[in-house]
Amino acid sequence: MRLIIRDNTTAVGEYIGNYIAKRINDFAPTPEKPFVLGLPTGSSPIPTYKHLIRLVKEGKLSFKNVVTFNMDEYVGLPDDHPESYHTFMFREFFSHIDIPPSQVNILNGNAKNLIEECKSYEEKIKKYGGIELFLGGIGEDGHIAFNEPGSSLASRTRIKTLAYDTILANARFFNNDIAAVPRMALTVGVATVLDSREVVVVVTGQRKALALSKAIEEGVNHLWTLSALQLHPWALIVVDEDATAELHVKTVKYFKSIERVQDEVEAMHEALKKQGLDEPVGSME
Amino acid sequence: MSSANGLICFTNCLLPQEDGGLVEKDLWIDERRGVILDSQKTFFVRKERPDRVIDLGGNILSPGFLDIQINGAYNFDFSVYEGDDETYRTGLHRVAEKIVETGVTSLLPTIITQERSLYPKLLHLLRPYSSPTSATLLGWHAEGPFIQFAKRGAHEPQFLLPAKEDIKSFEEVYGADNLAVTEDWLMGDHHVGVRVITAAPEVDGVMASIDELVRRGVVFSIGHSIATTGLATAAVQNGARLITHLFNAMPQLHHRDPSIIGLLGASPHLSSASSPTSPVSAAFPKILRVPSSVRRLAAESGPQATSEAFDDVQTPPLTPILPHAELDDLHLQKGKVTDLAFERPFYELIVDGIHSHPNSVRLAYSSFPEGCILITDAMKILDPHLKDGVHEWRDGKRFVKSGDKLYLEGTDTLAGSVVTLDKCVRNFSRFTGCSLGEAIRCATYNPAKCLGIENRKGTLRPGADADLVVLDRKGKVLSTWVRGREVWSKS
Repeated sequence: MRLIIRDNTTAVGEYIGNYIAKRINDFAPTPEKPFVLGLPTGSSPIPTYKHLIRLVKEGKLSFKNVVTFNMDEYVGLPDDHPESYHTFMFREFFSHIDIPPSQVNILNGNAKNLIEECKSYEEKIKKYGGIELFLGGIGEDGHIAFNEPGSSLASRTRIKTLAYDTILANARFFNNDIAAVPRMALTVGVATVLDSREVVVVVTGQRKALALSKAIEEGVNHLWTLSALQLHPWALIVVDEDATAELHVKTVKYFKSIERVQDEVEAMHEALKKQGLDEPVGSME
Repeated sequence: MSSANGLICFTNCLLPQEDGGLVEKDLWIDERRGVILDSQKTFFVRKERPDRVIDLGGNILSPGFLDIQINGAYNFDFSVYEGDDETYRTGLHRVAEKIVETGVTSLLPTIITQERSLYPKLLHLLRPYSSPTSATLLGWHAEGPFIQFAKRGAHEPQFLLPAKEDIKSFEEVYGADNLAVTEDWLMGDHHVGVRVITAAPEVDGVMASIDELVRRGVVFSIGHSIATTGLATAAVQNGARLITHLFNAMPQLHHRDPSIIGLLGASPHLSSASSPTSPVSAAFPKILRVPSSVRRLAAESGPQATSEAFDDVQTPPLTPILPHAELDDLHLQKGKVTDLAFERPFYELIVDGIHSHPNSVRLAYSSFPEGCILITDAMKILDPHLKDGVHEWRDGKRFVKSGDKLYLEGTDTLAGSVVTLDKCVRNFSRFTGCSLGEAIRCATYNPAKCLGIENRKGTLRPGADADLVVLDRKGKVLSTWVRGREVWSKS
């Protein structure tokens, strides 16, 4: 696992945005072989979306051949409700980029048969050959997507009851009326996320600091579902300084030092490439 | 240049909201159907996104302006019929085609008091009209003949009428079929065009007709009147919904009887019909207005105590005294105004800097921003390209145009205006200090709401007509769109 620490949320957004753009562009997607991207909602990914939008407007990135799958959606909230994740994704991202609507997938929380909806979502992901890169965020209780504490780490897409913590945290979007916050959501499972070839998680703000420390400094634990990332072979967490507040100084120093080493390795690699000596230069880990 | 799938996205622009805000947001329209789209639904349900994207460079994309009181423009006077339907229609359509350069995409032709035999003819010709390249004609606004002689302004005195037989008098003058009830007057071809009638509630039979006119979908507007506050309040309780060119052709604001203007400050506790202190019951004393000529005569007959009251009204004895009845509890929430049944009417303002002093404009707006409607009340010589000087009007009379000022030749009587609505919007923002978005609301959402057509005109609601005007950040019109097509652009 790699941990990248940046000064603030804007810098975090730029880092991830550039990272995803590079991955898409290197992949060179085509209509036959689209890049499959998993996407989250919430306040943490907004700077990332802003940066991706800028790259699209500057012509440096296109979503024409990108297929997206969103992590989750509330159950029973109309699609056009201001707080639905359909509305969020359209407002914050999809309306500003060039993605064809047919390539956007979001769980339908108003489906008659919710179980069938979840099942076909998993099948659709499989049909596209799995998710290439899953971008995620976490809740204060360490949940990834709506995989609340206690979720099976082997879970797939399913109906989930929201934890009281999450309901309280989301009440601010519903006029602080706890009763108005939906109680259930459809969400991809922990295993759905782990199945993707790469996972990138954004964690910003001091309120997420404890969850971050639980997820990366302690063992794999279903009470902090992000910790399952420790089992993923190709994971990246990008955080701001605030989110590191609960980490050991040693942990922070370690990850900062390997980032510098990584930069040096990459610079050396570039130099060698220029000289025509394209030798493998070590692990990205 | 049109869009391959017929959808257009306007981006990098500020959208005026119905609350007067300006929000940076995209707007999607369907140029083939000529309507504004629910972009999110188009994306997720129709699975389409616009093929054409128009970058507005940070400018403002407003709903097209509505002018609900305009007498003519581009050398055509809605009140003049020269014996030929075709000539009249041509003139009418010319105005609709040209007016879009001022940002107006909907207008309500207004006819001043006519010789009564002309009404049925004119009103028939003034039925709603729209074409792909012109502003929509919404129907008609009849100013007169049921107005107050003392406040007739430029209206011909011999044509003024009382409504002796109440609603029947209205039917006789305007033609009964022009006043028929219609459910949805914007739809279909066989609609009637009655939208607004300006009359004076104190004129014989008018007050008794308001109720029935409102029932037939007419917006009753109080104007050219000397109604007291009590009378004006009663008119509103009967259904009056608008005040015609506030401050003009009505008594000035007197603190003991603020008259029609006083409706803007209507006390929620005292004006409600259910209130035990309703002005129509006893609390507001009846005030007798006497024509100024009588007052002047009385003044000449000898020295007497002078009052600061205006000259055409006797000073009311007292502001109302509340009876010692059991009243409702007073509420305890700071910043909230109690919510009672009395709804203050919309009011029209001519914001040319001449018909109302900028301070008066601000005074009215601050007291009731939600009711403010900007109008031009323009005369036929409205034409942004026309020079100052003397111009022909009607019945051998002539205008003098001097900047935005317009007088009857040889008098100091204002004869309507020659200001364009986009200039009114800019003036309004300067006069009141309100934001451009709030000024825009007074020329879009507020008039549409007054007419009850805010789902189709004057807003950016999904399903509304894509009648749009692009303004720069100084409020100057850059381009105008009607039903999804650009019909005018600067340069």
